[in-house]
Amino acid sequence: MIAALSPETILTAWLLLPFLAAFLAALLPALARWLALGCVLATAAIAAAIGLQAMPATLLLLGPDGVALAPDALAVPFLLLNALVCGAVLLDGWQRPTAGPFLLLLMVLQGGLNSAFVSVDLISLYVCLEVVGVSAFLLVLSSRSDRCLWVGLRYLLIGNTVMTLYLIGAAVIYLQQGSFRFEAVALTSGGGALALLLVGLFTKSGLFLSGLWLPRTHAESPAEVSALLSGVVVAGGLCPLVRLIDGMPSLSAVMVPIGLASAALGILFALVETDAKRLLAWSTLSQVGFVVLVPAAAGLYALAHGLAKAALFLVARRFPSRQLLGWTSRPLPAAVAWPLWIASLSIVGAPPLLGYLAKQQLDEAIAGPTALVTTVLMVGTAAVYARLWGTSISVALAKDPAGSGAASEQAPLEASWSAGVVLLLAALLLLTVLLPIAGWGGTASWVGATASMAELASSILKAAAKTALVLLAALVVHRTLEPLRRLGQLRLPDLERFQDLVGSVGIVGASLMVALQP
Amino acid sequence: MEAFRLLELLILLAVLAGLVGLLLRCNLFLKVLAMDVMGSAVVALFVLLAARSGLRSPILGRTPDGAIQAVGASAWADPIPQAVILTAIVIGLSIQALLLVVISRLSLRDPCLDLASFDVRETR
Repeated sequence: MIAALSPETILTAWLLLPFLAAFLAALLPALARWLALGCVLATAAIAAAIGLQAMPATLLLLGPDGVALAPDALAVPFLLLNALVCGAVLLDGWQRPTAGPFLLLLMVLQGGLNSAFVSVDLISLYVCLEVVGVSAFLLVLSSRSDRCLWVGLRYLLIGNTVMTLYLIGAAVIYLQQGSFRFEAVALTSGGGALALLLVGLFTKSGLFLSGLWLPRTHAESPAEVSALLSGVVVAGGLCPLVRLIDGMPSLSAVMVPIGLASAALGILFALVETDAKRLLAWSTLSQVGFVVLVPAAAGLYALAHGLAKAALFLVARRFPSRQLLGWTSRPLPAAVAWPLWIASLSIVGAPPLLGYLAKQQLDEAIAGPTALVTTVLMVGTAAVYARLWGTSISVALAKDPAGSGAASEQAPLEASWSAGVVLLLAALLLLTVLLPIAGWGGTASWVGATASMAELASSILKAAAKTALVLLAALVVHRTLEPLRRLGQLRLPDLERFQDLVGSVGIVGASLMVALQP
Repeated sequence: MEAFRLLELLILLAVLAGLVGLLLRCNLFLKVLAMDVMGSAVVALFVLLAARSGLRSPILGRTPDGAIQAVGASAWADPIPQAVILTAIVIGLSIQALLLVVISRLSLRDPCLDLASFDVRETR
């Protein structure tokens, strides 16, 4: 039966599946979890099929002026990330009753992201990003607190404003080239249209000054929504951005400084932050900067970061307090401490984890002063996460069996491992082995070294030594800054007021127009 | 072509006015309206873009002898920008509706909808 269907039909059906499932879930709420699980599995299967080149690389719907899709190798890590993060959030909430239309929105979000990752014309991308934006906004609102209302309003207002600018860019491209395809973007001469498109995508992916909306939105949302936002929603802007940079090598002269500046900005603010969730959110802003540095390493880097950050936000729900002051004096349960260490070590780039593979691929692709700055920024990243380490694992729950009623009710939730977090951690560990074996993407070179075990051993030793040096330097930075932080002497200006957000979008747009003038 | 340039300029000015309104207005409702000004200007831009080659929408009709063909003028508007902006209008409308719902909820907290009463640095 399946064999009778053409790959094109399967792809189209897969793109429609989440939306149909969401409609069905509205009619049959009892089935919602299983429908969402089905969507996740379908996305993972399609990602694997595209990775094994069982699917056509391009797909045109509705004729030459219609919807252009490219389910190619570039989309694979993003699709995999989408499946894993949505699956983890689903499993994490499997035992809990879900609030309102959470599962329905999860499916719509997943469908919108799937389409955003594979679409290669400006208008389809616009529609997908708006679908993602609206469903993310409704997810932010799912906690129904006043604070979330304002944060959600802010998110949608900024998102829609930049997408309006993006549409103007698309109109100018159509005026010049007569087409909305990404190839047409690469052929345009003027910088204005490109600047407008880029400012839209930058803001959606949370890059540099145009991403200043990100920390508050990601920190104030409920834990599972933060995991979705930081893990995979930013990738909705990143994937098309990487496609555009890939098609226009001249753009990298602009992207490298912006990526490095974004990384530096995020690290700087994360180093002086006093709130654990906001620290994670600022770190997202900095990691997005690393993703856009080189198109060749972008997919794997986004995958590694998204998985680890989603795991971190999912365990953030169980932090005893979000306050970073006195963090080390509060012991964490084992089910929080271990994921915290493993995921943050992956982001830092420690060897047996996926983050190591991503950092190595990035290191291979860059050279000269950029490589030096990147290394310094990686020390900064490690110094940021050093603030979350150093706690002891609490055993208090186990040795107090006859506690009060409330405490014993809370104990299983606090101490048990979440299935979603386990899935993400397993992916971080297993993909490090599986991806090179499958010979996927640029990781093939790493497998080439297995020809001689000695070479492999030496390369691993070198990587371990480098990681150890980075960690050591980071600890020194951390120890130096810690007393200053405790005295409250480190303060940075608040750049997250609404005026700042609109203003920074304007500044980034105007400077891009100047920088892109031929 | 001169008229096209002039209209294009006016539309871009409207976009800029919307952006300035979004930046400077202190009332949330007016901010959302400013965003709508930008959205409407973009709709006008696409309509203008489509009208470069002609003003009539290319819709098939029936000629007196019964055959189905494009009737009327010979200078047709470009259908692609029109189709595209139809989607964008629908999206813009739904986002506008969502924003207004949130604003009506927020007005319970501050009926004046002053930005300063919502946009505060968290004191966690």
